[in-house]
Amino acid sequence: MYRLLSVAALVAFAILAVHAPFETAVAKDASEYQYEVLSPWAEVDPIPLRGISARLNSMEGKKIGLFANFKRSAVPQANMVEKKLKTKFPTIQTSLFHLREANVTATETPEKDKFTEWVKSVDAVVAMVGD
Amino acid sequence: MPGVRVVGTTIACESTVEADIESGIDGALNDIIAALTKPLTQEEKSPQVKTEKAPRIAFKGTYQDVNQFFYRKGWGDGLPIVPPTEAAVAEMMTGTDLPANHMVAKLIPRGGKATVEKIAVNAVMAGALPTHMPLILAAVDALADPATRFDTFEVSTGSWAPFFLINGPIRNEIHINSSSGALSPGNIANSAIGRAVGLIVKNIGGARKGVEDMGTLGNPGKYSLVLGENEEESPWDPYHVGKGYKKEDNTLTVFFPNRYTMTVPPETNAEGLAKSLARMRPGALSALIVIPDHAKIFKSESWTKQQVKDFVIKQSSSPTAGGIMGSNARRGRGLQNEDFMLVVAGGPGVWQGLLQSAGGFKNSFVTRKINLPKNWDKLVAKYKNLVPNYVRY
Repeated sequence: MYRLLSVAALVAFAILAVHAPFETAVAKDASEYQYEVLSPWAEVDPIPLRGISARLNSMEGKKIGLFANFKRSAVPQANMVEKKLKTKFPTIQTSLFHLREANVTATETPEKDKFTEWVKSVDAVVAMVGD
Repeated sequence: MPGVRVVGTTIACESTVEADIESGIDGALNDIIAALTKPLTQEEKSPQVKTEKAPRIAFKGTYQDVNQFFYRKGWGDGLPIVPPTEAAVAEMMTGTDLPANHMVAKLIPRGGKATVEKIAVNAVMAGALPTHMPLILAAVDALADPATRFDTFEVSTGSWAPFFLINGPIRNEIHINSSSGALSPGNIANSAIGRAVGLIVKNIGGARKGVEDMGTLGNPGKYSLVLGENEEESPWDPYHVGKGYKKEDNTLTVFFPNRYTMTVPPETNAEGLAKSLARMRPGALSALIVIPDHAKIFKSESWTKQQVKDFVIKQSSSPTAGGIMGSNARRGRGLQNEDFMLVVAGGPGVWQGLLQSAGGFKNSFVTRKINLPKNWDKLVAKYKNLVPNYVRY
């Protein structure tokens, strides 16, 4: 009888052990911890915008400004644009402005006045910029 | 530039191959003509201002979830981040007396507001300690100085990385390595300060890789390039004293190198060491790194730091010398005294080092004094024992 009860107890224990939850009332796995985190992305102030200049009604007879920045390929590209545009529109004139100073706008340089006059003298500008 | 009509081409900006240029312009010509002649849209006539406001709480999740969320947002740098919880950020801000909403700078390219709190969020992510906050704040302030030309270097194809030289007693207080392996990983201060700045540039400034940061090859120095000058083992005045600071002042100096090289001098008498430094062809701007052993040799032969610099300048007198992009030629003159710094750092050995940037952009070294909070001594005491203790084997 005693042996039967012991076996029964062992079987009962085995059944309970199989079905008992692996997680106990003690602390959960650390990987479950929930982090509420702040955003690292900053705010910006709205930038005032304005519309771009009106477009040309046609290319014929216009004076096209070609602006080249300090990059090595800017002037060769400007020259190529000039060649291709003049082939397509023989009546256009072109005018090159080459800003040799690096990484500044023309109005920040001693050529500011020259640049302003040049802009006023053309009907439109194609700017070669890049890095 | 919202509204400006942009026509992309296939031509590399430095291309000199006429066939490529012609082909590229042929491919873009119709778009160029359309950009000049097609009537404006309503949006182009009156562009609408778009405001953005990021939520303060970004996310809630497990450590892994947070890391994957931040990575997918593009807010990380490829390494795991420390989750920036309210508590962690508040602890980070004990490293400054400035209020959380104090704006240190607006950072290019998007003009992001670098408030103390946003800086602290990124500092937590980087694994920085509150004792690093004074340097991170000084770094952000320095980056915003037009003299650094951060606007040029941060987004350039040249992949220039900010290099920070630290002077003053703070180096020892917060364990900034200025000795063996000072430019290698392994020291929290050297690693986390630089890393925090990298995350700040990205998440506050908005310089995202391949979008605004157009570095062609990239630069591992963008993880961190922070060096303490080895003032204790140098026989000369440290860099910041030469700039007019007191020895006991703490300073941070920044410039943007994209070349790091080392060499072994063939001769180790003073003149041999100086020749070897000159042969590394420093240009504007550069940092020549002299190890303490070599500095002592210079001193034993009565060479001052200035004499070493003068020797290097004389050897570099050709305007076409000067490393990257003919930096000296760009400036229209030979190497000059203000074009490079000579600092003592590193441990025992024989190597000399050069960190080289580009010049000719009206840029210069920018130094900032590091401001400490009132509770500085307590903060230092709290973290002073956080040092590696290697297991012996």
